[in-house]
Amino acid sequence: MANMIMASTRALITSSIPPTPKLKPHHHNDNIHPQSNLSIPKIPLPKSLKPNQLPSLLAAAATFTLAHAPPSLAEEAEKASLFDFNLTLPIIAFEFLFLMFALDKVYYTPLGKFMDERDAAIREKLSSVKDTSSEVKQLEDQAAAVMRAARAEISAALNKMKKETQAEVEEKIAEGRKKVEAELAEALGSLEKQKDETIKALDSQIAALSEDIVKKVLPAS
Amino acid sequence: MNVLSCSINTLKGLYDISGVEVGQHFYWQIGGFQVHGQVLITSWVVIAILLGSATIAVRNPQTIPTGGQNFFEYVLEFIRDVSKTQIGEEYGPWVPFIGTMFLFIFVSNWSGALLPWKIIELPHGELAAPTNDINTTVALALLTSVAYFYAGLTKKGLSYFGKYIQPTPILLPINILEDFTKPLSLSFRLFGNILADELVVVVLVSLVPLVVPIPVMFLGLFTSGIQALIFATLAAAYIGESMEGHH
Repeated sequence: MANMIMASTRALITSSIPPTPKLKPHHHNDNIHPQSNLSIPKIPLPKSLKPNQLPSLLAAAATFTLAHAPPSLAEEAEKASLFDFNLTLPIIAFEFLFLMFALDKVYYTPLGKFMDERDAAIREKLSSVKDTSSEVKQLEDQAAAVMRAARAEISAALNKMKKETQAEVEEKIAEGRKKVEAELAEALGSLEKQKDETIKALDSQIAALSEDIVKKVLPAS
Repeated sequence: MNVLSCSINTLKGLYDISGVEVGQHFYWQIGGFQVHGQVLITSWVVIAILLGSATIAVRNPQTIPTGGQNFFEYVLEFIRDVSKTQIGEEYGPWVPFIGTMFLFIFVSNWSGALLPWKIIELPHGELAAPTNDINTTVALALLTSVAYFYAGLTKKGLSYFGKYIQPTPILLPINILEDFTKPLSLSFRLFGNILADELVVVVLVSLVPLVVPIPVMFLGLFTSGIQALIFATLAAAYIGESMEGHH
């Protein structure tokens, strides 16, 4: 295992660092080196290069890359594959089935049952509440009846009281009137009496006066 | 020379963290067969997360749910809703399948985006979402195929195969082809989306390590959720399709 780690590390280092200066002359000599694109400004293309030479140039570059790639990297690249089917597939399938049954035991069935039971209980409670609504209506009617009776009683009492008060008031008024009338009659009576007395007194005075007048007018002849 | 090797080491460290590794696997040998160790390790972690959180949250259900129980009830209702809309009234027995499909894919995808797998170094390859591997997605897609065949056969018996000549016998080849394209499209859709998403994030991180990859990571989270929902919904739709009556 340690050997493997070391090997891969070496491969990564060699592949990731740029070419060392020691190799430079070699680069200049060989223009079709694939890594020459790292130092393109320094290397002018040979004037003899014609455009139709380019494909062959590329092919040469490709062969060079394949030939000079580090062996360990090549091995890794060979091993690396996206569509690599193996025993992992059935193992994952069995793990999935295991997870399905385990979650069913732990989660879906118990919690689902619990939720269903709770739903049922809530629904039952709700329906029982709906049943008592008639009772509530009855109670409401009763309350309304009581209210109506009370209102009627109160209005009756009010009427009665009003009538009583009115009678009392009328009685008092009549009494007062009677009193006033009596006083009036008494006053009138006393006035009459005084008038009579005055008239009587005047009568006696009239007699005396007339006598005096007669005596004066008719001298003692 | 010392300085050079030192800088090479740091460079190598950076390269390892932000390096792009496609199709590199951490191979285990089991009885002469090769398996992808990184996929199995991450799938065990995902399974442990799912089972552990579900057990803790549902251990002692309360009439008035709080916290974890509330969340898991919401998830269960969501799964039931998906199953019901796709399968119809007889969705009950299929809830575990659809739900596990959704949860496994969802947690796998999000684990690839959220858990710092790369801290743990493997000799070869790297830890990532289990759905990042074609074996996982094909396994799930094949299970879906088996599930809808099972659903149709138990519901209708051998007359289930009558659906192949259903509108007209001319469509027989296309109907047969459908049985192959269904798992193919399911598995490759999931595989491609998750792999592409992780690659985009990794490439962006290796180019610009700060800030820039964050929106793409959020987009990745969104895509992961959508892909899990799509897979579960399509699986339910296939099951429902094979169970519905043909006139």
